Amino acid sequence: MEHTELKSSLIQPDDLILITGASGFIGSRLVQTLLDRGFRNLRCFVRASSKVARLKDLAGSNSGARIELLRGNLLSRLDCEHATTDVAVVYHLAAARGEKSVPDAFMNSVVTTRNLIEAALLQKNLRRFVNVSSFAVYTNRQKRRGKILDEACPIENEPQATGDAYCFAKVKQEEIVAEYGKKYGMPYVIVRPGYVYGPGNVGISGRVGIDLFGLFLHLGGSNPIPFTYVDNCAAAIALAGLKNGVDGEIFNVVDDDLPSSREFLRLFKKNVGPFASLYVPHILSYALCYLWERYSAWSEEQLAPVYNRKKWHAYWKQTRYSNEKVKASLGWTPTVSMAAGLGKYFQACRGTESNA
Amino acid sequence: MLRVAIVGCGKIADSHGSQLRRISGCKIVGACDTEPLMAQQFCQRFAVEGYFSDLATLIRDTRPDVVHVTTPPKSHFEIAKFCLEHKCHVYVEKPFTLNEQEAQRLIAIANENKLKITAGHDDQFSHVARRMRTLVQNGFLGGAPVHMESYYCYEIGRSGYAGALLGDDSHWVRRLPGKLLHNIISHGIARIAEFLTSASPHVIAYGFTSPMLKRIGEKEIVDELRVIISEEERSTAYFTFSSQIRPLLHQFRVYGPNNGLILDQDQETLVKIRGDRFKSYAEKFLPPLIFAKQYLGNAKTNLRTFLKNDFHMKSGMKYLIESFYHSIREDTPPPIPYREILLTARIMDVIFAQLNTQQQIEAGIPMPISAASVGDAAQLTSACANAAFFTNSRLQN
Repeated sequence: MEHTELKSSLIQPDDLILITGASGFIGSRLVQTLLDRGFRNLRCFVRASSKVARLKDLAGSNSGARIELLRGNLLSRLDCEHATTDVAVVYHLAAARGEKSVPDAFMNSVVTTRNLIEAALLQKNLRRFVNVSSFAVYTNRQKRRGKILDEACPIENEPQATGDAYCFAKVKQEEIVAEYGKKYGMPYVIVRPGYVYGPGNVGISGRVGIDLFGLFLHLGGSNPIPFTYVDNCAAAIALAGLKNGVDGEIFNVVDDDLPSSREFLRLFKKNVGPFASLYVPHILSYALCYLWERYSAWSEEQLAPVYNRKKWHAYWKQTRYSNEKVKASLGWTPTVSMAAGLGKYFQACRGTESNA
Repeated sequence: MLRVAIVGCGKIADSHGSQLRRISGCKIVGACDTEPLMAQQFCQRFAVEGYFSDLATLIRDTRPDVVHVTTPPKSHFEIAKFCLEHKCHVYVEKPFTLNEQEAQRLIAIANENKLKITAGHDDQFSHVARRMRTLVQNGFLGGAPVHMESYYCYEIGRSGYAGALLGDDSHWVRRLPGKLLHNIISHGIARIAEFLTSASPHVIAYGFTSPMLKRIGEKEIVDELRVIISEEERSTAYFTFSSQIRPLLHQFRVYGPNNGLILDQDQETLVKIRGDRFKSYAEKFLPPLIFAKQYLGNAKTNLRTFLKNDFHMKSGMKYLIESFYHSIREDTPPPIPYREILLTARIMDVIFAQLNTQQQIEAGIPMPISAASVGDAAQLTSACANAAFFTNSRLQN
């Protein structure tokens, strides 16, 4: 770490940093980033079932650093107390992903976060709690088409009506972080990454489209997709825990030179392999979401309300994205360019395809 | 208007909340979970006014007529007992209790207090299950069932719940007497229990950990189970639980003296198998056409039910709740006979006792007869003989 950077850092290299979800897609890159920045005292909290080979590799190749691997469950208050003992900064990445059930998503995102915060608040040395959230919290409904989505935009005030367990859990998670920040003066920062891509997450974002019985419905059209390459995202998250003077702030993280959905799909097919896709114009996708929503309500959810106008606004309405705040406040710049990032991502996708 | 309370605000509580919204004449007046945040989120999403983290306060403040117990199984008995003692009718999610003894106690308390209790065996009230029941009651089988086959399979690899279980040595499911099986098989066992008349059928169970689970280091969880159930010179049944066979069946086959029926829960199809045979080559050509016609009929029925807006994934639960509430209002017998609830619990007890014995024998652990917790000496002997039979079979192979 550069001398000037260290001077402006909230903590010193030997201060203890906790990373929850450390074995995950972003978590393991965050550990790498912190090590690269010279931090030598990391506690990596992982589930009992997590694969930790990468973390062990990192520990092996950074002999000067102390990397503690702590297995546990954030639903256990005792485990949270162990995890937060003596920590200076908490990077909270662990959360429910891919859960279709709201209670499961809520329990693994909100209850766990509450437990972790309450344990962290017992620590005298806590300097910051970094909560990693998501773009899923934004409503995007009132904003006109093509306008910029930034940190000032409102978040969903009826997350239960989105039909999206992840959105509900993330909105509630942010609420609880802010509540504890306000009530107990807990220093926190919220980071909202866009769609984090890279080797390790080779699916196509739902913002581009959805698979319908083998036919890919392309819904994004000319919309920019809010990609952030995993290493760039990890760097922004790292800075959110280290930078002085940003307590209580929220940062959106997206890379520069965002491709449109159409452009991305073309590149994907060219680099990974062709597949059948059908473009659905925005007006039609909006109408379909509206009809689905109405039918779901009329039929008392014979079809679950997974497609609705709220979702359309959040996912498929034309929107531009800003990363000005994260650049200006944290001094972040995406070090991996979009072209290089997509290149690595496509390569990983090709590997997955050939293994399948 | 029946006042309803929910205790336990996890995943299955959502199904109850969704179905209760569709039922007229009832209102959710409160929800309770030991984790207040869970109770709060349930109440917010289902527009329920009162959320609680203490059962006594819930009962005192909301005065429910009925309580739905949707907590993990270990707490079913204590919660249901408390609710019955406080004059509430109770719907207990499956598995009803941890063992038959607890089930008997709950039913006795319900009877003493002139209250109703039911178990969450909602699969038995799906459209297709009701169609099957009607046919059996109308004598389609030609008499009592001679033989049944119940398949209840489970995708263990892709389930988030199973993932959490496999990765957590202290997961609550591991502390159940029958572990994973305990939490899942009651639907499949209850289907058989419905048609048994004996109070103590013979049960022979064999289970093992699949090679897939063994490969990832799992030794404790039994995910393959085969059971033979028989009544003295009357009905027999096979029960299969598997995480490995494909397709993952949820099927029930019942054969009578004249005809048989095949119920597929996933496809919601019911197929009649006629006992009579056609002459000569007609047997090769006509039955496939008859089956094709029946499947087409099933597709039409399902489509019609969907278009009538009555084909929800948990339609069986709605029907069961409505029937239960009807029995409360009219003071008629509950939709699931207590005999059936007890028999399901009893069969499960014997299965888990035999698996336990089998595991101990395979592990070379000496087991005194007095250590058998459930079942009589004959059952224990049968279990040991059974374990030895399968061990010998493997050796011969």
